[in-house]
Amino acid sequence: MLQKKICMLGTFAVGKTSLVRRFVDSIYSDKYHTTVGVKIDKKLVKLDSTELTLMLWDLEGTQTENDLRKSYLRGAAGYLLVIDGTRQDTLYQALALQTRVEQTIGAVPFLLLMNKSDLTSEWSISERETAALQDKGWGVIKTSAKTGFGVDDAFHSLAQKLAEA
Amino acid sequence: MADSQGAARAAPATANDDDSVAELRSLLLGEAEKQLAEVHERLFDPQMQVKEVSRVLPDAISVRSRQDDDLTTALSPTVSAALERSVRKNPQPLVDAIFPIMGPAIRKAIASALSGMIQSFNQTLNYSMSARGLRWRWEALRTGRSFAEVVLLHTLLYRVEQIFLIHKETGLLLRHVAAGEVAVQDTDMVSGMLTAIQDFVHDSFQASGDNQLDTLRVGDLTVWIERGPQAILAAVIRGNAPQQLRELLQEILERIHLQFGTALVEFAGDAATFAAADPLLEEGLESRYDAKQQLRKSTGRLSPFTIVTSIILLALLTWGLFWMRDRRRWNAYVERLRNEPGFVVTDSGTRGGKYFVSGLRDPLSRDPAALLEGTGLSADSVTEQWQSFQALSSQFVLARAEKSLAPPSGVKLSVTDGVIEAQGFASHAWIIEARRIARFLPGISQMRADNLFDLERIEDPLLLFDLDQVTLRSGQDDKLNRLVDDLNHLREIVGGEPIKLEITGHTDGSGTEMRNNTLSQGRSDTVAATLRSRLSAWPTLTIVPMGTKDKLRAETSEDDRATNRSVTMKVIVNNNR
Repeated sequence: MLQKKICMLGTFAVGKTSLVRRFVDSIYSDKYHTTVGVKIDKKLVKLDSTELTLMLWDLEGTQTENDLRKSYLRGAAGYLLVIDGTRQDTLYQALALQTRVEQTIGAVPFLLLMNKSDLTSEWSISERETAALQDKGWGVIKTSAKTGFGVDDAFHSLAQKLAEA
Repeated sequence: MADSQGAARAAPATANDDDSVAELRSLLLGEAEKQLAEVHERLFDPQMQVKEVSRVLPDAISVRSRQDDDLTTALSPTVSAALERSVRKNPQPLVDAIFPIMGPAIRKAIASALSGMIQSFNQTLNYSMSARGLRWRWEALRTGRSFAEVVLLHTLLYRVEQIFLIHKETGLLLRHVAAGEVAVQDTDMVSGMLTAIQDFVHDSFQASGDNQLDTLRVGDLTVWIERGPQAILAAVIRGNAPQQLRELLQEILERIHLQFGTALVEFAGDAATFAAADPLLEEGLESRYDAKQQLRKSTGRLSPFTIVTSIILLALLTWGLFWMRDRRRWNAYVERLRNEPGFVVTDSGTRGGKYFVSGLRDPLSRDPAALLEGTGLSADSVTEQWQSFQALSSQFVLARAEKSLAPPSGVKLSVTDGVIEAQGFASHAWIIEARRIARFLPGISQMRADNLFDLERIEDPLLLFDLDQVTLRSGQDDKLNRLVDDLNHLREIVGGEPIKLEITGHTDGSGTEMRNNTLSQGRSDTVAATLRSRLSAWPTLTIVPMGTKDKLRAETSEDDRATNRSVTMKVIVNNNR
């Protein structure tokens, strides 16, 4: 059984912890919890050919890429970059964050999750921007921790990438 | 050159014929012969051999080392000897060489020793004054161990409950072992959190370099974290583990690195490879200080404390037995004194390690020393204080009376209700004196002598004679009869004792001395004869008649002279009065 360490990264309050809870425990709560330091969870992911245990390191949200505690990244096999689809600045922060992460641990598989996709009316990320990211070769997935939309898909996709890597 | 040499060698043997052969050989073997000569030179020239070997030696060593350990084994003695010789010759180069590693090694050893010392010092301080500490002190006394050892035995009770082998880089769990019944949480997550916590602490407090969190403590649980270059060992310990455990953990971690070095570096999420590390980890689990066994070991040992205690107890027991025995003897003695006539015990007990008794004692009572004899008590251990007094019991009244009255042998005294009675026979003088003294004796109200025969009855009556006569004057029959009756009475009183009756004849002053001698002897003989005839049935009676010139009284009248014409008697019982 393979184990992989995965980090959840992103600005504070984008929904990293909610995504993990939805993915691991199938629970969603409106109540906001600030993560201090890191919270670790575990989920067994079944892929077509194999099984993978994901150790999910839910890192505390960052204001800027400089807030990132690099030591938590050490040994990560991949990561999920989470943004809040209703807050455009979180995308830019994610871009900066991604650069910092790659400088720290090198190029490892990752996905960009545009969370809170249920809030369609407040959505502030344009299709053009999404397409630009995809053009860069980034995997972008819309998710909603609240409804569960895209959550399993996102984790499975990353797991698949890790299995192939 | 080979050609000319070959030609030269052939020439002396067969100067003419062989020239052609040599030439032929030179033509045929020319180049080969040259090579042969070179090979020959290489084989037998030591200089060349050295060069050859030096060319292949490093590679040869490298190849052989990969193949097996034989080279190492073969070289070891030589290398050791070389090192030894080198050090003897000049140690400085070696000192310089190992100096960089000596420092850290020594520092580490000292730090470890200090840490252990401080740990035990803290424990000793913590436990020395508490109730538990006192209990342990008692245990130390009892078992003959040092206090520190007992403290260690109790405080080093610990158990390694779980050991995590964690991949340092990823924080992923490689292996986890747990002691039997320990409740185990999700070990993967614990492993991750442990790694995260270390990072968190390290980052948060900006610890430098190698300084990392190495101990977590929650109540009775301690997590010891040992880190290697690739892996981390986290041991969850319940209780108080000694510093040696940390060394053991380090050792285990080192062995894991040795065994799984490559696998650790290349780890990509598959922990199955490390299953082989379980026996190593379990070694860590099994380590525990077996206090029970340690304590059991001590039971076979007779500690000095036990010996001293036994001796003291034995001594106390012996002393107790002697004390009880003496006590019993003392009580018996005091009881004896209480019951002894003439003693009044007013106080008794022990004072200054000695028995004492005080009270009143009649001087006529038995000597206390005599009473003490035979009780088993030594006179030294007893103090006695007696005030004299006169006991009024019949026994003492009688004893006092006998002392004061000095009764003659014929008298038997007895006391009843304050009345002293004399029985038997006695001289008149004694009877008079006794009556007088008895009045002053304490406890005696009167003296009775009804049954006391007064010898005066025999000795007082005078049997009279007429002038110049040896026959009894007539008219004295009653007197004589009374005398015989009294003698018979005395005989009854005396029993079988021999009685001597001395009869002395007397005369008056008239007449010649010679006549008077005859008269006095005659008169005593007359009375003796008369009494002998009257008392013939008294075999124990001896009658001794004798005359004397002594006058009974001075003669101033005829009455005096009549009195002097008489016999007097004296009774001697059993040869004494």
